[in-house]
Amino acid sequence: MTTLESTRLSETVRASRRRGRFARKQELTAWLFLAPAIVILTAFMLYPMVQAAYLSLTDYNLIRAAEWVGFDNYIELLQDPAFWNAFWNTVLYAVVVTPITVGLSLALALFLNRQFVGRAFVRTAIFLPFIVSLGIIAIAWTFLLDPNIGLLSYWLAQIGVVTEQGLLSDPNTAMGAVMFVGVWKFVGFYMVMYLAGLQSIPEELYEAARLDGAGAWQRFRNVTLPLLSNQTLLVSVLALIATLQAFDQIYVMTRGGPFFKTETIVMLIYREGFQELRFGYGAAISIVLLIFVFLLSMIQYGYFRRKQVRY
Amino acid sequence: MQQHRSSTRRRARRRLAVVPAALAVAALALAGCAGQGKSSAEEADPNAKVTLDFWNGFTGPDGPALEQVVSDFNASQDRITVKTNIMPWDTLYQKVLTAVAGKNGPDIVAMSASRLPQYASEGLFQPVDDYYENADYESDALTPAAAEASVFDGKNYGVPVNLATMLMYYNKDLFTAAGLDPEAPPKTWDEFAAMVPKLTVDEDGDGKPEQYAIALADHETVPMYPTFLWNTGGGIVDEDGEKSLLDTPETLEALNFWVDLVREKNASPVGLAGADADKLFQTGKAAIEIVGPWMTTGFDEAGLNYGLAPAFAGPTDSVTLADVVSMSVPANADATTKEAAYEFFAYWNSKEGQITWANGSGFPPTRSDVAADITESPYPAIFGASDVTSNARVLMPGVAAGGTIMENVFTPALQKALNGEGSVDDLFTEASKQAQAELDK
Repeated sequence: MTTLESTRLSETVRASRRRGRFARKQELTAWLFLAPAIVILTAFMLYPMVQAAYLSLTDYNLIRAAEWVGFDNYIELLQDPAFWNAFWNTVLYAVVVTPITVGLSLALALFLNRQFVGRAFVRTAIFLPFIVSLGIIAIAWTFLLDPNIGLLSYWLAQIGVVTEQGLLSDPNTAMGAVMFVGVWKFVGFYMVMYLAGLQSIPEELYEAARLDGAGAWQRFRNVTLPLLSNQTLLVSVLALIATLQAFDQIYVMTRGGPFFKTETIVMLIYREGFQELRFGYGAAISIVLLIFVFLLSMIQYGYFRRKQVRY
Repeated sequence: MQQHRSSTRRRARRRLAVVPAALAVAALALAGCAGQGKSSAEEADPNAKVTLDFWNGFTGPDGPALEQVVSDFNASQDRITVKTNIMPWDTLYQKVLTAVAGKNGPDIVAMSASRLPQYASEGLFQPVDDYYENADYESDALTPAAAEASVFDGKNYGVPVNLATMLMYYNKDLFTAAGLDPEAPPKTWDEFAAMVPKLTVDEDGDGKPEQYAIALADHETVPMYPTFLWNTGGGIVDEDGEKSLLDTPETLEALNFWVDLVREKNASPVGLAGADADKLFQTGKAAIEIVGPWMTTGFDEAGLNYGLAPAFAGPTDSVTLADVVSMSVPANADATTKEAAYEFFAYWNSKEGQITWANGSGFPPTRSDVAADITESPYPAIFGASDVTSNARVLMPGVAAGGTIMENVFTPALQKALNGEGSVDDLFTEASKQAQAELDK
């Protein structure tokens, strides 16, 4: 009896110990699975970010040892017309490109959610620019827009719109051209996100709405749009962040010109670093951009969270 | 399973080890760069086999000529091997800094003497004054302007690759078609201005000429507009590189003349990059371009019937641009590397090297004593003629802020003026203040 009890007891103890070891093992496994991601994020995101914050307080030029300058870089950039020019260019780019991208990708998704012949082809055609490198797209558009050999300039001339100067070197059109390429590149990607969302909306809801006498607009306004709010949140946050970091096509197509009319903040960071050899100052600008993007994303996130709908 | 897990852990640990390793490399690179005196303390090993990575931007038809000289040098001895790494100049300027800081970089860097001072002032290169002091290297034979172009702050940071002068290329067929004498290119600004209405052609009257009198690039180009300033007695900065000249009456006179000619008379399209201007002349859509010897091959291959003449003179002078490219040694190169680089520099500028280079590229040689031996190409003699070279000037040599002033002050102000966003006088008075601020930094 006693032996039996003691055996049972020791078994329980052993079992609980085994469970404990099992739990610890599981925890360890979880960490091991996370480890590569943590290491990569630390090495390629966190560490450079901390390093950039440190550099922004120095006059580092990549060659000489960095010297501590305190907040001089930040004080200078607040008074730097080049910074404010880049800042407002970036805001303009974001304010124009983000809503157009979001609206157009939604419209395309709605259109391509219908059944028609050649739908797969059109979907692919719109998605295609996304899988091509933006740098290559930018080179292609540079050729299309060339005032002398460009296809687009030729067509424009055929319909009576004469562009004496290339659209990319004309200060009145350069920004519009790089904005267009920015929209063209990403709209297919966001469209696919919206398509996925559209297909997850249950057909019953539309039937119910129809029975209640809702027209097409009302169905869109009261069923489709609210149920896509998750997608809209994701798409608009991603699009906004992407526009605030616009660089690739501008670098290739205009180099920020003519006379800095298309210079965005990231272009300026690049120029200060690699042309002016002022990596400390460039780092300061990138920290300001980081804070700006972070705040805007938080505001946007909060706004959509409140508006989110579930049925 | 157990096996797999532990290997994951090992891999993770190895990945972690990468970070300190990268830091250590960066720290080493920094330490190496900071101590410039370090290399001179070491002794060069005269017998060590050395491979030199030579970065340059001779992507055009001049590239094969450069490769030829390099392979001749490699064949001439068996200790030093030079490997060329040819990339567009833009790419080179962007990559050189990180490459040198990261220690994987070049051992020899070619760059325009106009850009060199900025990099030298940041500590990227080491002085090469001892090259010029060594009589074995025959530096005395070099064209003085070519050797002096790389002097910054009293020290010489480079040895010349080339000195290219700019001449006026004019399309004889277009001159004939316009009823002008194809053997009488314009000699002065006023003669040119008088020809503009004939050479700029807008047949369909849509306001966009099909043909322009001249192709003048205003950005990403070998300097075209800045040379005009010299010919009214103006300039961007003074000879000492201390004072901005952008708001002087002479400078404003030149700029007003050219901006007016381009804007009002459509003498040239606005907003051309250097490559656009070349293309325009090459396709017969511009009657004149003022550019260096590197375009001869392309224009010959395009079958253009063109003539070469000194660029039209301004009211007070007829100065043209001398574009000097120099070779430099990064600050972190050790004594052995530096000594081997000197051997290559000496071969490049030797009689043998320069004869091969000039014949193959059309560039004038860096030393005048080989002129008689250059028989395969007519262009070195034309671009190297004494009346051309004696009137050629390097743009802002030895001015550390030169590159910044060109990119951030002069070019934007010029583009604004050409696009009608303000008057020349206002724009350049303001630009002059900015240029002065850069010079005073």
